[in-house]
Amino acid sequence: MEHQGFTLWFTGLSGAGKTTLALKVEEILRQRGMKVELLDGDVVRQNLSKGLGFSKEDRDTNIKRIGFVCKLLTRNGVVAIASAISPYREVRDFVRQDVGAFAEVYVKCPLETLVQRDVKGLYKKALAGEIANFTGVSDPYEEPRHPEVLVDSSQETPDESVTKIIAKLEALQYIPPAPQTPGGVYSNAERKAVEDRLQALGYI
Amino acid sequence: MGVLASKRKRMFVLSIDGVPYTLLTRLLQRGDMPNLAAWVAEGSLVRYNSTLPWVSSVAWSTYMTGVNAGKHGIYGFVDRQPGSYKTFIPTSRHMRSETLWEYLSRLGKHVVVMNVPVTYPPRPVNGVLIGCFLSPSIDKCAYPPEVSQTLKALDYRIDADPYLARSDKLKLCEDVALTLARRAEAMFYFMLHEDWDFFHCHIMETDRLHHFLWREMEQNAPTLGQRFYAFYRQLDGVVGQLRTRLPDDAELMILSDHGFCGIQQEVYVNHWLAQQGWLQFEADPPRSLEDISSRAGAYSLDPGRIYINLRGREPRGCVAPGAEYERLRAEIAQAALELTDPTSGERLFQAAHKREDIYHGPCLESAPDLVLQPVDGYDPKGAIFKETLTFRGPTLVGMHTFDDALLYVRGRRIQTGSWSILDATPTILTLMGLSVPPYMDGRSMVAG
Repeated sequence: MEHQGFTLWFTGLSGAGKTTLALKVEEILRQRGMKVELLDGDVVRQNLSKGLGFSKEDRDTNIKRIGFVCKLLTRNGVVAIASAISPYREVRDFVRQDVGAFAEVYVKCPLETLVQRDVKGLYKKALAGEIANFTGVSDPYEEPRHPEVLVDSSQETPDESVTKIIAKLEALQYIPPAPQTPGGVYSNAERKAVEDRLQALGYI
Repeated sequence: MGVLASKRKRMFVLSIDGVPYTLLTRLLQRGDMPNLAAWVAEGSLVRYNSTLPWVSSVAWSTYMTGVNAGKHGIYGFVDRQPGSYKTFIPTSRHMRSETLWEYLSRLGKHVVVMNVPVTYPPRPVNGVLIGCFLSPSIDKCAYPPEVSQTLKALDYRIDADPYLARSDKLKLCEDVALTLARRAEAMFYFMLHEDWDFFHCHIMETDRLHHFLWREMEQNAPTLGQRFYAFYRQLDGVVGQLRTRLPDDAELMILSDHGFCGIQQEVYVNHWLAQQGWLQFEADPPRSLEDISSRAGAYSLDPGRIYINLRGREPRGCVAPGAEYERLRAEIAQAALELTDPTSGERLFQAAHKREDIYHGPCLESAPDLVLQPVDGYDPKGAIFKETLTFRGPTLVGMHTFDDALLYVRGRRIQTGSWSILDATPTILTLMGLSVPPYMDGRSMVAG
């Protein structure tokens, strides 16, 4: 079955879990038969955006370049997953308008937790002044106002977050639903009571 | 953007289940509902269509998602499990599309939703959601869960007691009236205590009244006929209170999901399929759909849904996909359109809709192959085994219709067009100054 392309944009502070979630979602979408490409911010800065720095202007250029590639993929029926800090709201919204079929996932995590985790050892350096223009420490992060999905990696497991993301993509008609087992809503007694009521009303 | 453009836009929706446009206009003319008449004079009231099938679970699912059943996946109050003849009750967990209130919640709007069909189990919102009559108890019906305590303190009732209709319709009337009173009290409570941007209260009591008292109303039965109209005067009293409490600048919509008419006969479609040689069972009498034979060509679920026993889709399917499927489907459709009431000679069905003509989307695979739309008065039922084709009883006397629902918007003109409940949510979003997501199938009935 031919699937429509769309862009799934992960935004959030460094170390929040964007790449972790993006990889898990990528796998699920491939299993569902979709063509998927992942544009990870760290990887993109080694090729497409090689040479760009971390000034606001360079960050905006980086995000617009990723957004442009996402647009091309989206219109050719590919799911483009972008995972980048993308700290400025205006340029994220620009990409949203430019791409059209777009869903934003805000991977939230308190700065204190990220500093404690420091998965890449960068927060320590940034706090020591060894890295300039570090988002959350010396550069701003503008939270999304109305993301399609909000996950909090300090409160949820990655699998819980992925479940939320997939459910929302299904609800927004971006991806087809997985076959579902219809049971589990009612106990046997509850189901009998509801069925009897529906029968009394002439509905079944 | 100036101050006016950023002014808060609040939206109130009052839904009245199964109230026909024709009945409401008659009630307004009779003078039973002066408060509603005053509102109607300030806006636009139109007649519009329900869904196929014309049953509340499908209609309200279509309303709350703005998409057809081929996208939200709810085709009736009962469905069969994929790859099985076991049946289940579709709930909100099976609804495969985002609801209006989930969309509004994402945009930061505070919502209150009460009693809209297919809102059990209650899915999280930014605000309060009280589930419908599919909820097994008040303890489980609400989001957030602590709202259940408030409902208990208000002596809230999820639904009227339909079993009373078998023994004492007068007691049923009292029960319906009390349920409405409690629901209204809860509605006013949450209107006062929640800082809502969107509020939807659904009145189910009208549907209950119509199912069990429609004939008595039509026949002007001395007591029960009068109770029918008394209920509407009570409802108008609720409308009157709402008029004093609703902000003048709040947008207002009142709508129903289908019409109603009297039942001439219930029609047992599975009995007919068996008589025609299209349905056989392996048990005599059959206890459920699971007793279906591997020789059966088709079976039916309420109301008027026909499923071909398709090889590869159904566990004991014998009908080959392709030409054989199409031939059998066409035969059943043709025979249904020629079927007549043995007593009156009237046709029983006015249309036979193919799935691909009325649904589209990722949930098409679980759609019925045909939907038989009845002539008003003939109520198709999915009972597995009945000994007669038709039946007319004293308890269930009113049935749903497709083309006599209503929608009202205050202070606006509804554009000329052929509308259905699919268009209600896009209209609400337009009234709230919000964009309509491109995946929605409906259109706004008012100009933006």
